[in-house]
Amino acid sequence: MSRLSAVRPAYWISGVLLVVAVVVPLLVPTYAKTDPHLWGFPFFYWYQLMWVFLSAILVSISYRLLRAEERRRRAAQGLGDPDAPDADTKEAGQ
Amino acid sequence: MNTSVDWVQLIIVVVIFGGVTVMGFMASRWRSAGHLDNLDEWGLGGRNFGTFVTWFLLGGDLYTAYTFIAVPAAMYATGAISGFFAVPYTIVAYPIVFVFMARLWSVSHRHGYVTPADFVSGRYGSKALSLAVAVTGILALMPYIALQLVGMQAVFETMGLGGNNTLAKDLPLLIAFAVLAAYTYSSGLRAPAMIAFVKDFLIYVVILVAIFYLPHVLGGWDSIFGAAQEKMAKTNPATGKPTGSFIPGNAGYVSYWTLGLGSAMALFMYPHSVTAVLSTKTRNVVRRNAAILPAYSLLLGLLALLGFMAIKANVNVKGLDGLANPQLAIPRLFDQEFPSWFAGIAFAAIAVGALVPAAIMSIAAANLFTRNIYRAFIKPSATPAEEAKVSKLASLLVKVGALVFVLAMDKTIALNLQLLGGIWILQTFPAIVVGLYTRWFHRYALLTGWAVAMVFGTISAYNVVNPATKKHFGGSLANIPFTNTPAYIALTAFVLNVLIVIVLTFLFRALKVPDGQDTTHPTDYLADRGDPGVQDLPEILDDGGAATAKS
Repeated sequence: MSRLSAVRPAYWISGVLLVVAVVVPLLVPTYAKTDPHLWGFPFFYWYQLMWVFLSAILVSISYRLLRAEERRRRAAQGLGDPDAPDADTKEAGQ
Repeated sequence: MNTSVDWVQLIIVVVIFGGVTVMGFMASRWRSAGHLDNLDEWGLGGRNFGTFVTWFLLGGDLYTAYTFIAVPAAMYATGAISGFFAVPYTIVAYPIVFVFMARLWSVSHRHGYVTPADFVSGRYGSKALSLAVAVTGILALMPYIALQLVGMQAVFETMGLGGNNTLAKDLPLLIAFAVLAAYTYSSGLRAPAMIAFVKDFLIYVVILVAIFYLPHVLGGWDSIFGAAQEKMAKTNPATGKPTGSFIPGNAGYVSYWTLGLGSAMALFMYPHSVTAVLSTKTRNVVRRNAAILPAYSLLLGLLALLGFMAIKANVNVKGLDGLANPQLAIPRLFDQEFPSWFAGIAFAAIAVGALVPAAIMSIAAANLFTRNIYRAFIKPSATPAEEAKVSKLASLLVKVGALVFVLAMDKTIALNLQLLGGIWILQTFPAIVVGLYTRWFHRYALLTGWAVAMVFGTISAYNVVNPATKKHFGGSLANIPFTNTPAYIALTAFVLNVLIVIVLTFLFRALKVPDGQDTTHPTDYLADRGDPGVQDLPEILDDGGAATAKS
């Protein structure tokens, strides 16, 4: 099967997004401080909780990109779309 | 100290527990196509769970009762480094899972793999390596199951159940476990999947109420964080150092991120995570879940902060034995600050929260035993029906083992072993995850790297001495060899593991040491439901696995 026909940007972009989602929350020196506070939370605490949302968003975008890519690949190979009949799954993709 | 039974709490817990038990037994008929007499039906719930069910199942599976007790307990006792790292840990886990889990799903579905060790066996053609992966998984799971009981025990103790009489003290735990064992036996993975709905709903309610109601009672977030900061800065008389860390200083950076990354990489190496993932319907269910599971990370982060609230509320953490036990911080906080009926709901949430992961873990351990020890070494001709029978019995044995563990031994042994379990399980990462992409690593190099890292990790953990109690296995941080920087032992051992694997792979390839046979095909890693060769699936088990369909 030709992997060349797979368009690259989707893979590259999601790769970068996922690397960001893994590396940035682990850069402790960038957030190990008290100020600025938010609703009484020191920076250290609210910043990390904020990354829960950011990470979910980054992963969702990657998912959309890869999913479109995969659909195209599967269509080119004449394979079906196993997720299509699932009504509950689409909205759950956030 | 609580010496009398709180009847309101007890009645609520018993009622919820009873309801959950009924659900557990009824679950055998839920979404069931046929009989529970093969591993795909009993051990993987028919491999038919969609995004929604999986979200609850994985949430119920990964965020265990022990987590709910231990993370805030760590925050209560020593602050951010040992407690709050759980937040970055569960944040970075999902992008990592997103990347490789879909491939594991695909190859497992084309070949009928039920456990990660099945995959390793097919990929590397090495029974020894597969056995190593299986044994590591079982070893890591046993103490983890035992700790679910410890979580339950903390709740029962706070409700006033217990006392000096051994039987009265242990009876509630015995009953809870007998019930758990019975419905896991009869319903398999469907039971925890169904109960997970109740568990997660209860937990979400409890945490949301706690997070809005308690700061209100305790004088606001400012004063909660203030109290925590003050406690962490105080000098601990036993060590002469500060009690803990409110915000990690320079010296703690490496500890913090290695704990986060190491735990994240280890999370989906645990067989019970793989079991839940393989029970999904299509390849993309796990990816979608990687995007929505962080909701639980948020929950965990908020929950961790309850540890700080316990500091502010000055809860009494003395156990029935008169010793301070931080594990009691959260149950005692609920007991002290909530009305009895709501505390009862919270306790029920934790107790039910122990049942879901304990059930899935025992199923995962049983599947490992059946597939990778029983079928691989004892009876290769086992039929699917026999496999299911052996697995059911093994899951009972595993649970009895865990129970004996908790009742007969000091519970610090379970804690130590769980700490070791995290270190051990990460050492299967090269064989499993790297194996999903390339087969360049030599099977014997992988085996050697695994063995050395297991020994190294165990010894390093043994050498960590708790400064206050002078006991071994004092924590999961040790200096990186030849430096003064403390880091998570699992990750240090992992780096050593990978280095050995690379060097030995070069060596073995140069020496032309025989490489095992790879029964997988590159297209297997991209297969999805409905593709040629991907079946839903008892047929595959009948001919013993592996007919590689090429597309």
